[in-house]
Amino acid sequence: MKGRLLLGCGSVVAAALTVFGVAAVAADEIKREYVPGRENAIPHVSGDRKFSDTFEKWKDPAAIMAAKKAGLKSHEMNFKDFRWMEKSLDGEFALEEGRKLFNESNDKGQSCASCHGQDGETLKGVHATSPKVNPRTGKVTVIPTQIRTCAEERLGRTDLHEETRGNTMLAYWIGYLSDGQEINVDVTTPGPLKDSYERGRDLYFRRVGNFHFACASCHTPPTAGNYLRGQRPTTFFGDASQYPIYHFPYQLEGHNRGYVFTLQHQIKSCQMLSRMYQGKEGSPSMTDIETFLMASSNGYKVSIPTSEYNMNTDYLGRE
Amino acid sequence: MKPMLIRMAVAGSLLLAAGAAGAQEKKIEWVPGTTPMPNELLKQYPCHSVEEACYNIPAPDVQVVSFKPPLNGDAERGSKIANNIRWGNCFACHSLPGGVSGGTVGPDLSKYGAQEPPLDYVYQRIWDTRAFNPDAHMPIYGTNRVLADQDIRDVMAYLMTGK
Repeated sequence: MKGRLLLGCGSVVAAALTVFGVAAVAADEIKREYVPGRENAIPHVSGDRKFSDTFEKWKDPAAIMAAKKAGLKSHEMNFKDFRWMEKSLDGEFALEEGRKLFNESNDKGQSCASCHGQDGETLKGVHATSPKVNPRTGKVTVIPTQIRTCAEERLGRTDLHEETRGNTMLAYWIGYLSDGQEINVDVTTPGPLKDSYERGRDLYFRRVGNFHFACASCHTPPTAGNYLRGQRPTTFFGDASQYPIYHFPYQLEGHNRGYVFTLQHQIKSCQMLSRMYQGKEGSPSMTDIETFLMASSNGYKVSIPTSEYNMNTDYLGRE
Repeated sequence: MKPMLIRMAVAGSLLLAAGAAGAQEKKIEWVPGTTPMPNELLKQYPCHSVEEACYNIPAPDVQVVSFKPPLNGDAERGSKIANNIRWGNCFACHSLPGGVSGGTVGPDLSKYGAQEPPLDYVYQRIWDTRAFNPDAHMPIYGTNRVLADQDIRDVMAYLMTGK
């Protein structure tokens, strides 16, 4: 046994120093800040080919149908089979809450609709190309952050910041306005968005927290495609297309968002489960991770509203 | 058998080591196995948020440890630790003795005891798996103080019951 242990760390044992009976090894060669694979990430949903090798089976609804028909098991399809196939109206009342809020006037008679049209007519397609650079601030901005800015500056409302129910409902409604649009976040032209994508990618692969995990620890193979008990972790390509998502009956303790999860709220939920420090929604790092995830869905179509726990459970029979 | 009350301090020395000056001495009580780990406690580890001091904490050094026999673990307590998502959460990835439906990410350990693995190997695997595989997707239980020495012994005793 000793031999096996020494074989594994022979090069570093010499540098060991003993503290409280525990040998702390100065071992740069076996200590990693990142999990492998960053260099293979590209800002397009087909980038999955370099990770799971299942892309052909879920690249569009027809491919998913064909794979299901061929009897493929859920994990052989990277667990993508039940994610976008069918719309779910479980969260319809939440959408309705967002729509009403969008048209709701403040005491000066102003609403989101004052600038963006009844029900947000002029915002169709905006979600599919977000995050964007706000030309006035020069900052990469996600929709919830833009909602906060608009609410503060135009409506004089401070109760719609990124971690509020109202903000989430509005983001859900605005996301829905882009349903069916192809996602296209330009992160290849040099500029703030490209920088944000690259920072987000690095954060996604960085080992952090109590468990010393990265997002990619679960969302790249071999974990992705295997079962984490009831959970079915998949690769990071494509999934952003259905966020914000209706997540009933699950919600984070201390939050009341009507069971709707924006992408950053989902990241926060993942951080909580994986024992990582939970970032503030709308903060620079959370925004960078969102840029990375949205751009990793480039080429896929927005699919809102869907439901995290879709009532259709026929995938269970095929496992 | 009661979960040990762990008092973890976001100690000044820890944060100073990460280059954060003026860290406040704060004591937060958390009982593993009950609630999610409080966000304040998570600041003692590397984090994503660039605006926080924890962003600059580097990955912890790999710890190579030696197991001191005998095993003297409490298998029943070990089972509680291993099969609780707020504690050891081993069953997220592994099938474990006793037939609880475990994950498929890690090796099936439901009959691990029958393999009679060397105990110092198992102890190191749990304490800091990077000694064997720097890219392993397994928590570094000992190094990051997820589990204490006796917790790991209890989990090992539980694993050895799988025949």
